[in-house]
Amino acid sequence: MTELLLAPFQYDYMLRAMLVSGFIGAVCALLSCFVTLKGWSLMGDALSHAVVPGVSIAFLLHLPFAVGAFASGMLAALTMNFIKSRTRLREDAVIGLVFTTFLALGVLLISLYPSNISLTTIILGNVLGIADEDILQIVIIAAVTLAVLLLKWKDLLLFTFDPHQARAVGLNTDLLGLLLLTLLAATAVAALQAVGAILVIAMLVTPGATAYLLTDRFGRMMAISSGIGLLTSIVGAWASFFLNTSTGGCIVLLQTILFLLVFFFAPKYGFVPIRRQTRRSTKSIPVTRARVPESHPH
Amino acid sequence: MAEINLKVDDVTVAYSNGHVALHDASFELNRPTICALVGVNGSGKSTLFKAIMGFVQPIKGRVTISGESVHQAHRKNWVAYVPQAEDVDWSFPVSVWDVVLMGRYGYMNFLRIPRQEDKRIARECLERVGMWEFRDRQIGELSGGQKKRVFLARALAQQGRFLLLDEPFTGVDVKTEEAIIELLMELREEGLIVFVSSHDLGSIPRFCDQCVIINRTVLATGPIETTFTERNLTIAFGGALRNVRFDHTDEPGSRNEYRVLTDDEGALVFDHEGKPALPVKRQIAESDHHD
Ligand SMILES: Nc1ncnc2c1ncn2[C@@H]1O[C@H](COP(=O)(O)OP(=O)(O)O)[C@@H](O)[C@H]1O
Ligand SMILES: [Mg+2]
Repeated sequence: MTELLLAPFQYDYMLRAMLVSGFIGAVCALLSCFVTLKGWSLMGDALSHAVVPGVSIAFLLHLPFAVGAFASGMLAALTMNFIKSRTRLREDAVIGLVFTTFLALGVLLISLYPSNISLTTIILGNVLGIADEDILQIVIIAAVTLAVLLLKWKDLLLFTFDPHQARAVGLNTDLLGLLLLTLLAATAVAALQAVGAILVIAMLVTPGATAYLLTDRFGRMMAISSGIGLLTSIVGAWASFFLNTSTGGCIVLLQTILFLLVFFFAPKYGFVPIRRQTRRSTKSIPVTRARVPESHPH
Repeated sequence: MAEINLKVDDVTVAYSNGHVALHDASFELNRPTICALVGVNGSGKSTLFKAIMGFVQPIKGRVTISGESVHQAHRKNWVAYVPQAEDVDWSFPVSVWDVVLMGRYGYMNFLRIPRQEDKRIARECLERVGMWEFRDRQIGELSGGQKKRVFLARALAQQGRFLLLDEPFTGVDVKTEEAIIELLMELREEGLIVFVSSHDLGSIPRFCDQCVIINRTVLATGPIETTFTERNLTIAFGGALRNVRFDHTDEPGSRNEYRVLTDDEGALVFDHEGKPALPVKRQIAESDHHD
């Protein structure tokens, strides 16, 4: 039995897949704390789709795929900002408009000029078949993101919580906003091959959302979230070996299962404890009837 | 301390959707003061604060703070800010202590690790507003008045020379309002320029010595006694105020006439000369809605 469970560890490609997924999962999860609190989920989803044409263009220009993908993601983000600041359209409409355009362009380019990475891989991910040079790119991106987050999380926290105060103490909020956006695009690129463009957003939202229900301290939220990201990604990659299915699907479903458990049973903010608490406190309200003054004869 | 001065010079602010929220606004504060920023909802009070905070760039004109640009002033931690309650995400996972330390960021190193001194000052400020016992609470688990005091403590911790408060009395109980007013008067004594936006007209003459009345531009500015008059306020508020007259004598030229100007907040009472009748203490205690 143990032998069977440990089987994936005998294969180099599995070991690599688990390590890479775990690393990316942890970094995405760390960033997800900011994404969920800032309300940037839709933005993250858009960026992860907008990187697609960059992959194809990078291949045509003989550039590393990450460079093209990242450039494409940032271009999409800046386009959104530009349009948003010059129309009365709501943000979600602008986001929807821009990222679908980028995605359509990507699909078109890839079907016109088949590249070394297939459309299915980009959309659905394939961490088991990932090339060595791609791993190097991914690991570098994730490592830089991790370093920036660990060094600057307090500034990013203040920017997320209260940008006015960030200004008041002399922080450059425009720069911090751009930094957060850049990190978002970078992790979207890093996670692209692991879980695919469609599922990247889950890695950038679910762990943070889960951790948020478990604590009301930001530091702890980051620790819990990255723990969740690390574990689910490793276990997800491991499980996909047995189920012979998509790694991305396994990872994301695992994260969802964890989220649901927490949603129902979290000690303070869980569904069940809150209901129990409400029931208990409504019971303990003393039943006192207002005394109606006796009616006086006129 | 060098000269203290806040100068808003011919400022026009337009939002990205083209709406001009404030135009050709000019005024100057140049001594320790508590100045009220008065105007109806939507008159541009928060917009003016945003311009002073450098959050919106004026398309015309300039804000200078003791001779420096807005950006420079912030780098020096000069301007502290207490946000409007609705601008804060109260479910954010931060504690009272975390929030107060945010006032010290400008003094901390690259990694924002608080030094002993930062912690000492943060503690003193929390004690000053009476919130030290609540330091481990998540900020959403406080009453309206307590929330306000925490953000005041953060502003104090910043040790600035200017303090901007956006609607500090909204959703706050009378006791906290009194405590805040007392604190603001102490800060004026300590040499700060305190700039308070409010549409609670009743309490303003009690603790402010100057006022700026706006409605998309500056309508009037100057000392409370000469500027905070019925005439100016009626112009600024128009139909948004209820105007009630009391006159018990029926004689022409009566000296007993009082008028009450009120929107939904505290009422302002004028005497027969159209000057604010002082002191205007609220008679009816309001309950703290957020408790
Ligand atoms: N971000 C924004 N974009 C567009 N219009 C805005 C924005 N913020 C405020 N406004 C508009 O500017 C005007 C002034 O708003 P504000 O400064 O918040 O008023 P006040 O604080 O006096 O209630 C209002 O008409 C408001 O609708
Ligand atoms: Mg306002």
